[in-house]
Amino acid sequence: MSIMGWKEKLFQRYMIWACRPSRITKHLSAFLPRPRQPEPADRRQIKVAALQIELKLFKNPLQYADEMHRLVREAADQGAQLVVFPEYNNLALLGMLPGIEKMEKEAFREKGARADKEGKGGGASVQGRGDDLSLADLFRYMSPAVKPLVHAIFSQLASAYSLHIMAGSYTLEEKGEIVNRALLYGPSGDLIGSQDKVHLLPMEAGWNLKKAASFNVYETPLGCLAMPVCMDATYYETFRILEKSGAEIALLPIANLEEYNYWLALRGIWPRVQESQVYGIKSALVGSVAGFTFTGRAGIFAPLEITPGQNGVLAEVEPFDREAIALAKLNLEALDQLRRNHPWRDYNQALYKRYFPEIYEGIDH
Amino acid sequence: MRVAALTLAGIKLKSIDQYQADLDYLLKASGNDLVVLPAYSSLLLGLETGAITYYNDFDSTLRGYLAQNEDWHNLFLNLHSSLAAEFGIYLVCGTTVEKPIGKNDGKLADFFYQTAYCFNPDGELCCRQRQTHLTHDERELGFSRGEELNIFTAGDLQVGLVVGNDARHPEVGRIFALRGADLLLHSGAFKSGLNCWPQAAGMWAQVQQNQCWAVEAQLSANIAGRKFGASPAVIGPCEITPGQSGYIARGYPESPIVTAELDNQARQSIKKKYPLLRMLIPHVYSALQGSRNR
Repeated sequence: MSIMGWKEKLFQRYMIWACRPSRITKHLSAFLPRPRQPEPADRRQIKVAALQIELKLFKNPLQYADEMHRLVREAADQGAQLVVFPEYNNLALLGMLPGIEKMEKEAFREKGARADKEGKGGGASVQGRGDDLSLADLFRYMSPAVKPLVHAIFSQLASAYSLHIMAGSYTLEEKGEIVNRALLYGPSGDLIGSQDKVHLLPMEAGWNLKKAASFNVYETPLGCLAMPVCMDATYYETFRILEKSGAEIALLPIANLEEYNYWLALRGIWPRVQESQVYGIKSALVGSVAGFTFTGRAGIFAPLEITPGQNGVLAEVEPFDREAIALAKLNLEALDQLRRNHPWRDYNQALYKRYFPEIYEGIDH
Repeated sequence: MRVAALTLAGIKLKSIDQYQADLDYLLKASGNDLVVLPAYSSLLLGLETGAITYYNDFDSTLRGYLAQNEDWHNLFLNLHSSLAAEFGIYLVCGTTVEKPIGKNDGKLADFFYQTAYCFNPDGELCCRQRQTHLTHDERELGFSRGEELNIFTAGDLQVGLVVGNDARHPEVGRIFALRGADLLLHSGAFKSGLNCWPQAAGMWAQVQQNQCWAVEAQLSANIAGRKFGASPAVIGPCEITPGQSGYIARGYPESPIVTAELDNQARQSIKKKYPLLRMLIPHVYSALQGSRNR
């Protein structure tokens, strides 16, 4: 539905004004350290941080900038060179919309009523309230304000702390379509890479999000980085392609809409890391907003053969519903060594040629 | 369908008769329709019954076995064909070394495969599956790779055999699933002393991303100084298993058998609710053809 009456147009202009880069930059400059040259990276010990963020709404983009700054500073203070934010890092900005709290309460009420009716706890599937408005409409409406805001914040934070920051994913409008896009900033403050989500949740497909058709890998001083998004890690194909493209570290932002269960959560990045021999960093959005409840446990994963406990986990936060941070050192030389002398990996070209890619053609979409 | 995974732990192997009697006891007591034995079953039984010679260590023993003629191989297959017919079950007899017979000269080839065989309740061979992905050690020993993945019908289910190291290669599960397999039967043998995670990274992960069933038979034995031991299991999609663990039944390495009943209706309902395979995006995967560039 069209969201744009004159009041909405006026408010959108206000948001763009409130999120303008010059305002954000000036605000952050008051607190940030002066940009410095990054330390040369040692491939044997790359310190990385996976953030688990508890979702809360921000009315004011400056508060949002402060929160992103607080999280980056915490990771930087602990020596992180690469900081990874979760999927849907823009949801907190829904707080800028007037009346969102009321909408949220109604969404919860509806969810509760539906759960009572169905006799179960209810899934978090309530779309945005307000006529037939969907969350995708809201994302589209906010995109002109959010895009420059995000760039201003993370460009400045990356530069000030001399870090690589994967800013999480944002639902942004691109050439008239909405994408779920992960953004990577380098220590110079430049946007050095992006990745649109390829495998969409049915809910996202229902919002008509545009899916990407390829995966990108970015060569950085911290190794070759890739950014599959959440559901992309459900499919081994994603990580095979990334590995083949030279990726050494996969940064996976997630926002899982399900009650936490250890085994359900295990199905994503952990097996993919084992199958394709890359490091994996999972950042998680947790908490509730607008009838959606997210759970997860941020963590840093490695092939079994190069983890001390032989369990594939270098670090994992304990809570699944509160803010936390996981930190670990990655050894890219050990990864390279493992790949060169792998005890069980094999490649059966004749088998793959026999079945791929034709095997996929029978899929009933 | 009721299924079972065996480890061969506690089974008497000193003679064919003892082996047969112990299997008879185990299988009749648990009333299964389909039973899977672990990898290296042929080697272990051959060694214990004296049909194959022990050497100083595992690798030498395996090399000795590879150099042997076909007598034991044929005897082993005939034995399990008879057992399948006697018990009226589908029986995956684990793995043996297969040396193909040349089409033109009828002679045994000088290359060989690690191969699993399944016999139907009439004792007929219904599937032969060569291992398609080799470990470093297996390559060193000279094994060859199979180049096909075969599916057969057991009751209402389409079934594929996953041999040894194939469990760690997701291409195998995906090819089977896209060709319609409902159930994967895995004959495996892990060195003992490993934790549970290599197994989780294998069949458990394959089941979760393909929403199929798997019966995982793992060898529990000491062969020429090499100890094998891992947990037998019956695995299904998390959503329809106790505690959403993905395990319908799971034993210890020393458990002789685990059994479970497969509820295919429940599996179909979760596939319908969350059709993972239908959400694959084929055009994105063109980069997979030809595998990796290293």
